[in-house]
Amino acid sequence: MELFLYKYAWLIPVLPLVAATLVGLGLISLNKLTNQLRKLNAVLIITFLGVAMGFSFALLWSQIHGHEAFTQSFEWAAAGSFHLSMGFIIDPLTSLMLAIVTTIAFLVMIYTDGYMEHDPGYVRFYAYLSLFSASMLGLVISPNLVQVYIFWELVGMCSYLLIGFWYDRPLAADACQKAFVVNRVGDFGLLLGMLGLYWATGSFEFDIMGDRLQEMVSSGALAGGLAALFAILVFLGPVAKSAQFPLHVWLPDAMEGPTPISALIHAATMVAAGVFLIARMYPVFEPIPSAMSVIAWTGAFTAFLGASIAITQNDIKKGLAYSTISQLGYMVMAMGTGAYAAGLFHLMTHAYFKAMLFLCSGSVIHGMEGVVGHDPDLAQDMRLMGGLRKYMPITAITFLVGTLAICGIPPFAGFWSKDEILGLAFEVNPALWVVGWATAGITAFYMFRMYFMTFEGQFRGTDESIIAQLKNAVSPQNEENLEPAFGPGAMDPEELEHDDHGHHHSSEPHESPLTMTLPLVLLAIPSFMIGWIGKPWENMFEEFIHAPTEAAEVVAEAGEFDWTEFLIMAGASVGIALIGITVASLMYRQGKINPSKIAQQFRPLYNFSLNKWYFDELYHKVFVMNSRRLAREMLEIDYKVVDGAVNLTGLVTVITGQGLKYLESGRVQFYALIVFAAVLGFVVVSSVT
Amino acid sequence: MFTDSFPWLTAIILLPLVASLAIPILPNKKGHTVRWYTLGIAFLNFALTVYAVWSSYDRTLAGFQLSETIPWIPQIGLNWSLALDGLSMPLVVLSGLITTLALLASWRVDHKPRLFYFLMLVLYSAQMGVFAATDALLFFFMWELELVPVYLLIAIWGGKKRRYAATKFILYTALASLFILAAVLGLAFCGEQTTFDLTELGLRQYPILLETLAYVGFLIAFGVKLSLFPFHTWLPDAHGEASAPVSMILAGVLLKMGGYGLLRFNMEILPNAHIQFAPVLVILGVVNIVYGAFTAFGQTNLKRRLAYSSISHMGFVLIGIASFTEVGINGAMLQMVSHGLIAAVLFFLAGVAYERTHTLMMDEMTGLAKQMPKVFALFTAGSLASLALPGMSGFVSELTIFLGVASSDVYSTSFKVVVIFLAAVGLILTPIYLLSMLRVVFYGQSETQLSLDPLGIDAKPREIFIALCLIIPVVGIGFYPKLATSTYDVKTVEVAAKVRDAFPVYAEKQPSKSLGSLPFNAPALVAPPMTNSETLMD
Repeated sequence: MELFLYKYAWLIPVLPLVAATLVGLGLISLNKLTNQLRKLNAVLIITFLGVAMGFSFALLWSQIHGHEAFTQSFEWAAAGSFHLSMGFIIDPLTSLMLAIVTTIAFLVMIYTDGYMEHDPGYVRFYAYLSLFSASMLGLVISPNLVQVYIFWELVGMCSYLLIGFWYDRPLAADACQKAFVVNRVGDFGLLLGMLGLYWATGSFEFDIMGDRLQEMVSSGALAGGLAALFAILVFLGPVAKSAQFPLHVWLPDAMEGPTPISALIHAATMVAAGVFLIARMYPVFEPIPSAMSVIAWTGAFTAFLGASIAITQNDIKKGLAYSTISQLGYMVMAMGTGAYAAGLFHLMTHAYFKAMLFLCSGSVIHGMEGVVGHDPDLAQDMRLMGGLRKYMPITAITFLVGTLAICGIPPFAGFWSKDEILGLAFEVNPALWVVGWATAGITAFYMFRMYFMTFEGQFRGTDESIIAQLKNAVSPQNEENLEPAFGPGAMDPEELEHDDHGHHHSSEPHESPLTMTLPLVLLAIPSFMIGWIGKPWENMFEEFIHAPTEAAEVVAEAGEFDWTEFLIMAGASVGIALIGITVASLMYRQGKINPSKIAQQFRPLYNFSLNKWYFDELYHKVFVMNSRRLAREMLEIDYKVVDGAVNLTGLVTVITGQGLKYLESGRVQFYALIVFAAVLGFVVVSSVT
Repeated sequence: MFTDSFPWLTAIILLPLVASLAIPILPNKKGHTVRWYTLGIAFLNFALTVYAVWSSYDRTLAGFQLSETIPWIPQIGLNWSLALDGLSMPLVVLSGLITTLALLASWRVDHKPRLFYFLMLVLYSAQMGVFAATDALLFFFMWELELVPVYLLIAIWGGKKRRYAATKFILYTALASLFILAAVLGLAFCGEQTTFDLTELGLRQYPILLETLAYVGFLIAFGVKLSLFPFHTWLPDAHGEASAPVSMILAGVLLKMGGYGLLRFNMEILPNAHIQFAPVLVILGVVNIVYGAFTAFGQTNLKRRLAYSSISHMGFVLIGIASFTEVGINGAMLQMVSHGLIAAVLFFLAGVAYERTHTLMMDEMTGLAKQMPKVFALFTAGSLASLALPGMSGFVSELTIFLGVASSDVYSTSFKVVVIFLAAVGLILTPIYLLSMLRVVFYGQSETQLSLDPLGIDAKPREIFIALCLIIPVVGIGFYPKLATSTYDVKTVEVAAKVRDAFPVYAEKQPSKSLGSLPFNAPALVAPPMTNSETLMD
């Protein structure tokens, strides 16, 4: 039975792929019919993924009970003596990732039914979701770097398609292109690093690459600097995919996509793939201290950067996006400090609570659209929310659970994982700990700012003055208001019309349907409890997941747990979180401190944060404008210099006298025919004689 | 049914040519008869090709197969000799597929349809002849035979600047083909016995000077065809102005003739010179990739952008050819097949969009996705294939070329690092120009209402069928590359072995052995080989 499970584990990514292909072919050949069978398609896709989920849990169960890792591969490409194989590996890391990805994808798909209910692209959205799940599952079972790269780009493609899902919205169009290109920059590094490692070690297998590289460096066959360079180039891939500084700029813009994919792709799974790749590449990275410290500091800086921007965002999804960047920074930092299990532990807890937070924000947006209409600039702006707890109790409670989890309040999930990261970072470098610790405080502040602004106080959605102010701020010139055909949540147009006439719901948002609230409730359970499996004094998680190199140490370490140290570290992080919460409460709940006054006082700092450290402007000026200018100039050169020069020499040498006359009179056809006839005549004549 | 002696290749080459002769006398009252007739012939020929390859081609052999030789003009040593091997067989099948689909795509030719279909069939024969010829002179005749229909197809059915584009095309390629003739004659008359047989030419040893000059001659001729920088400027004009079916053939098949020629003549017959010139090829390949990508990004005309993207992609073929590794040459071959399919589908879809919008300026086409979601989906698939997305054939070929360069032991490390780095920059630029093309053309709000009625504006089943016929092989190869590579791998291994064998011989003569350094002291590309072949003929 178990052997059967392992032998057919390749079905896990193939099942959603098959579903996506079936629906995709239906869409392209029998578009009308397929679109009419909305629910049937959704049920088909959810069922296939459900089977894959069951499969994944069976494998996880088997792995937890100590089944040894299983690998299978086949030859994929060959050229002469060169062979490249593909296949799958099932080990603790893979089985964990399979379980995370399938559960979240499954719940997001259920949620999608409610959220995208009235969208004309309902079926297409499910097909994309299924395609993404297939790619993501393929990524996590990859046994070698090339296969990772393949699926790495495929998840990027799905992300591209899904960000640009509402293709008639110009912002979405810009965002999806930006996401793909920025990710390509990272993949560029990944490819170069991969080729470098292959050149040095002759392999794409993670363990073999690591062993050989270490051997070569220690024997002096390869300069240590070069090995570090390769490692850092590979790391560029995760930098882009996991939205680390300086390639983090695509993730906030990616929020133009529908909210379910913000939860699935841009919070829980794809962006965490970077962390997963670092984990897979551990045999290569770990023996190179310089690469590890680059990773650690990139993560720490990103954690701070994301948090510092999140505090001033007013768009609920943008705020969560920067919070994701910040949390991914924690994970990358953990990986860089050697806290392998802690990083993956945070990946897991974060996947659950951040997916839930995003789905909550989707529920909020869905409710807000009933009041302010389809405009994402209004429906996602927290300045128009407030007091939603009264109207949307389930959403409010689950959002609060997620907020407490991300702030690191015990016993919620985030506490255990974040605290472990901070504790291990302190052992490596106290400076890293300081950054992480300060960021934890900021995190608590901005998350509770978000919670208070959205769910507490008075509802501001009907305040015409704020609406007018926001509309002006967003698009002063866009007066004619190009109404998108379908918008976020894509509520029933009739329902909206109803609202406009002020029958019911016009001034109050409403709780979302069961298909949306059920996944929220289901995700709240792991957000609350999953951290317990990683209790520092009884760390089941670390027993299961540990770095390939430190199998023995973990067991030894488990025995000697230092309570005082734990309490000091935990106390420090809980303390600063409580300070952050208190400040947020004073500012946004009790109104004792006026946030706008503080913003006035620290105007430059406030603007710096509000404008995202001006990264977009900088990149636009430096990269976008310059590459456009370069392209224009190259084209000029092509027209004037290259074309001109070659044309001229061609003309001078061949067409002299008579030929030129034909050219000018446009009779070259005639000329060419004569040449051709002459050649043919020559052949015919000589063959006859 | 047929014995091995059935002249498959002769049949495949002559069928369209003979059938084309009937077109002028066919009754064509409704204008549909000629169309169906041509399409039937094309499909029959493609089926014949596939059957011949299926039944008689053994992919485990490296040498020529399905060979047939008939003396044609003994006086000048011209033989009608045809055969297939790993280098030509995939391209013959590719030509058959793309030409047939191009004919299916040219459904709405109402201007001089008889002449159009006649020329297409002649072109069909000539393409097959170019790839199947094993006699250098026959190759040259087929090469010339192919130019005239293409010229007329551009000049008569092209866009606004068709005359200019067609003239430029014929001048460049006809002029360049003279270099083939000169080089072929030079090589043929070099030994004791005059021969044009490719196998024999490949066995001979040539004086270094002759070999170098012949190499340069071939390089210019095939370089023009392959759109090698700086001989590429005919291509954007020709591709941009030609009608969609002709663009499909231009990008899908004719570009590959250049790559095929480089493999067949420059590498197989002149390996010693190839060693000397390989670094130049690599550099030109990198220039093609980066330069083509930047100029593509600068274009505002849809088809011209696609044309420049072809220039960029052909750079990979050059790098693969010059990599001296089995992997690299294999990748170059795969890149040709893959680009043939991808470029054909993109040009076809550009034509579909043009038929509806009557413009090729991208900023005039905004927001098409809403009106034609199916075209949008297919165009997206084609663009993603073109930007080397994994799961599509372009990724496999470019990855194998990268691996070929990385594992090449001929070049110095620093040279390889620079080459790989710059070629990989192309990987960043490709999505920039392709995705911005999609964004401008399909995304956003449609500003102008299209003149055609909204019900009939999206892709028709016939058009979807054509696009899928091209995309499915792309995805198939992307998923399992051995589908394609196993058909020619034996041959590329043999070619790689041959050039590698030649390498140490040359290394002794060149004490520096610094292939990594840039041999710009190599004979300039403008050196006319004509003079040399004349002296040799005396």
